[in-house]
Amino acid sequence: MDKQAQEKTRPARELTPNVDIFENDSELLVVADVPGLDPSDIGVHVDLPEFRIEAKVQGSPDRPVVYTRSFRVDERIDPERVKAEYKDGVLRVHLAKSAAFRPRRVEVQTS
Amino acid sequence: MLVRLNDRRSFPVFGAPRAFPVSTLRRELDRLFGDLERAPALAQGFTPAVSFDDTGAALTLRAELPGLTEKEIDINVTANTLTVKAARKAEAPEGYTAHRRERQSFSFAQSYELPARVDPEKVQASLKQGVLTLTLPKVAEVQPKKVTVTATA
Repeated sequence: MDKQAQEKTRPARELTPNVDIFENDSELLVVADVPGLDPSDIGVHVDLPEFRIEAKVQGSPDRPVVYTRSFRVDERIDPERVKAEYKDGVLRVHLAKSAAFRPRRVEVQTS
Repeated sequence: MLVRLNDRRSFPVFGAPRAFPVSTLRRELDRLFGDLERAPALAQGFTPAVSFDDTGAALTLRAELPGLTEKEIDINVTANTLTVKAARKAEAPEGYTAHRRERQSFSFAQSYELPARVDPEKVQASLKQGVLTLTLPKVAEVQPKKVTVTATA
């Protein structure tokens, strides 16, 4: 296979955004640098165990630019409760943990 | 330079006519990665992506500064220089454990000597979703002028 010939057929230039991943008791927080996007062009896909960020840069001068990044997350995430916000070119995705996997404090009863 | 091992024509032979390919490859890789480690760009850390354009009537600059607000960007213009300063502190949100930290802090200060004289009073800057766009209109004398060709009989 000629590798160069393959690369020429690529429709878009793919960029890998830098991300931070944080975790606390209730959620995973993924923060990605994806400047210059329209919020409607950002796709956050949760298809357990895969979690994927995909975004298309509109109006790039030569050829389309696509940001993609995917991660494996485990079943502790509740796919129904994933929230994303985009501000100042930074995407923040909150992946809430399922209730069953959150730490719960158990009260010790005195008898 | 790395070449395919089965490409006999261009495979480099160092001294001995039959240099052992693996050791050659290793030497080449060491050299390659040694160069990377010494590269100043990596030593200085993150530098925002900046592009300059000349639209004829103006010079434009586009810089990617994700996570910054307009207050954190400082721009100074004279007729022939431009200085852009911006700093970002990578902060961990309170109460979270970090698994991965790729978004770096940066402190960016760059001066540019402009290829054409601009009018500092007319410079416009806007910041939208982490992208800084600067438009620096050229002074009238250096703006391109269309010359009409008149046909003479």
